[in-house]
Amino acid sequence: MYGGGNVFESMKATALADEDPIKLAEFEARIDRGEKIEPKDWMPQLYRKQLIRMIEQHAHSEIIGALPEGTWITRAPGFKRKMALMAKVQDEVGHGQLLYSAAETLGKSREQMLDDLVSGKSKYSNIFNYPAFTWADSCFISWLVDAGAIVNQVANSKGSYGPYCRALERICAEEAFHLKYGHHCVIHLATGTKIQQEMMQEAVTRWWPPMMHFFGPSDKISVHSEILMKWKVKMASNDECRQQFLDMYVPKIWELGLKLPDDSLRKNTETGQWEFTEPDWEEFKRVINGDGPCNEERLAVRRIAEERGRWVRKALLAPDAKYVAPLA
Amino acid sequence: MNTEAIKDLLYKIADDQLILGHRNSEWTGFGPLLEEDIAFSSMAQDKVGQSWQFYKILNELGESEPDTLAFMRNAEQFHNCQLTELPNGEYDFSLIRHFLFDTAELIRFNMLSESSYEPIALLSKKIKGEVKYHTMHANIWIKQLGSATEESISRLQKSLDYAMPYALGIFEASKFEATLKQDGVFEGEVVLKTTWLAQVAGILEQTELTMPSIDQVQPLVGGRYGNHTDHLQPLLDEMSEVFQVDPSADW
Amino acid sequence: MSLKSLDPRVGRLHISEQEDNDKTQKGALDQFETYEAFVQVKEGKSLDHVGSVHAPNEEMAFLFAKEQYTRRGMYCNTLCIVKTENIMMSEFSDNKISVYDSVTVNPTGIITEEFEIFHMFKRGKHHRFIGTVNALNFEDAMANSKVFYPSEKPVYNVWVVNAKHMLTSDDDDRDIWDTLKEKQYREAIDYKGQDIIKAYKEKIAPD
Repeated sequence: MYGGGNVFESMKATALADEDPIKLAEFEARIDRGEKIEPKDWMPQLYRKQLIRMIEQHAHSEIIGALPEGTWITRAPGFKRKMALMAKVQDEVGHGQLLYSAAETLGKSREQMLDDLVSGKSKYSNIFNYPAFTWADSCFISWLVDAGAIVNQVANSKGSYGPYCRALERICAEEAFHLKYGHHCVIHLATGTKIQQEMMQEAVTRWWPPMMHFFGPSDKISVHSEILMKWKVKMASNDECRQQFLDMYVPKIWELGLKLPDDSLRKNTETGQWEFTEPDWEEFKRVINGDGPCNEERLAVRRIAEERGRWVRKALLAPDAKYVAPLA
Repeated sequence: MNTEAIKDLLYKIADDQLILGHRNSEWTGFGPLLEEDIAFSSMAQDKVGQSWQFYKILNELGESEPDTLAFMRNAEQFHNCQLTELPNGEYDFSLIRHFLFDTAELIRFNMLSESSYEPIALLSKKIKGEVKYHTMHANIWIKQLGSATEESISRLQKSLDYAMPYALGIFEASKFEATLKQDGVFEGEVVLKTTWLAQVAGILEQTELTMPSIDQVQPLVGGRYGNHTDHLQPLLDEMSEVFQVDPSADW
Repeated sequence: MSLKSLDPRVGRLHISEQEDNDKTQKGALDQFETYEAFVQVKEGKSLDHVGSVHAPNEEMAFLFAKEQYTRRGMYCNTLCIVKTENIMMSEFSDNKISVYDSVTVNPTGIITEEFEIFHMFKRGKHHRFIGTVNALNFEDAMANSKVFYPSEKPVYNVWVVNAKHMLTSDDDDRDIWDTLKEKQYREAIDYKGQDIIKAYKEKIAPD
């Protein structure tokens, strides 16, 4: 579900001067032509490292993202919602699988990535560190968090790395129903009974601040960002994504009679830009570094699932098994 | 056509699938391996989806809407066998239950494909393929884990011994066995059980697991007529928690 | 003390503080070997690479690939899997140059094995099954493929698989995909909300 494009730690720009200039030129020419990079191609270290980190975090976000909505799987009201939510959460696990495979083509094993997730070493999208208190919360997530993810994913699908593009193609196709389902749920609640409307409004009020954090802090153009944009690793700035999201979805939220907890939120008709109260980036930093309401629970659940499944994996492992990275 | 007899048959099938599908959906996100997590979730969806189809036939026969049937009845009104309502435990129990139950389901749907009652025959023919995959999955897992390590074998054996009395409850006789057979609607639980025993034993022979001696196992019955374990009502309360906030609302 | 959660399923996991502190590292291959999966959606359509799965053996790989890659869509006719290490790969080319331009040998004409050939017609897209050749080894298979499956479009990468390594779903098992087209709840088209929004707007519009 989460679209990536954000890396939550800053990377040291490995000296490009160390890279073979001829190979680097060929590599950059290929990207400029619009051709994709495939796993066996030569690539600069910075490109490889950045992509592993980005795709890996995207994968973790999918796996962890399955947990807040999964909170409501057993309680979905009615057959239609029950089936849809089961399928949606399943898709998230599936997307995690696709993305881990894509990251593996760059040289990191899935075991290693899963270890880094549960140890807290690798990050995932911050929004999943918040609790889904009610059914309406799960509907908010299904609609608007997915919408945010799709903004990122559509941007990244035009990126330069072949395996990531292939994974995103499949993911975008499957996401189509997620967004529609989420919107459908919110429409029903917002236009439904008094209790339903109140439940939905409370959820919106609760989730709007984390949603404003979703695309990350404003990113000033640094030398670092410039190279990553040149290599089509970073496809759009955080600000651009956020603006796109607000433009597409705030009107849809308002048309349902739902209020957003930000009196400054408006579209400046002259600039075409949305204005809003600057989100609390200190809170964002706190939560992403482990101090959010659900961080501990999310990782504990993943850890326990791994631990309790260990006997299964151990039993099935053949003694002569060999590791081979996925080809594409 | 004896409508009461047919409803009896439909209810037990639909309730089994709903409750077991619901239980299996609890594994989504918590499975032992990503790919297996995905597979298990698909099978849970299949079950819930199948139960929906059976409730629709019941609705056509004059019973309430599917959502009402699923989300508004209490435990004593449910006709699932007790096996399906037991908590998931660890993966060994869930796999054993999946193996024992789905083996019976496939045989049941193969039998029902010949039913004189057309709606059931059509639906059974349609979903047979789905259930076939479920048994393929179960057989492969039981065969592999049942011959792998000391731990996997002993876990499966314990679960098998624990589950067997409940599994025999699948075949609890209906009040309408004779009618259903006479009318050509369904050959009956006795035939189903016999076929099932042979198939289960056949798979277990290919493992290090021991088939329990059936004549020494006391079947745990009652589910078909509303006698359930303590696990069912909490399951139903949870399942219907949001729906019952307002059953007349459109969710 | 066990972990309290809003998710009743998590509550039932009975996660205790003690258990959660066991941070044992995993062994290598905890996530098993790798298999590539190929799908033919309908009779007459192409057989395309769709992705990979981690699995302990072929049987499991098939079970997993079926759900990961064929649970959506309207149809599935055939599913194939190949252990990744059994796929022999050519070099990559780019910029409208075909890898076959660097294949300069002729087929030996010695027929010992059957090889399945897959072409990548565009970087960023999946490999597609092209056909079978009879050849001696990988190089010979490439030489044969150049002759018997000439391509107008440049081919950027070739996969060669010995036919005996290619595992295909049984024709008899095609019924496992029978109900795919009925699963509308997974399709966007099943969720139409505009009428409700319209009705709502009319209802709350000031008179």
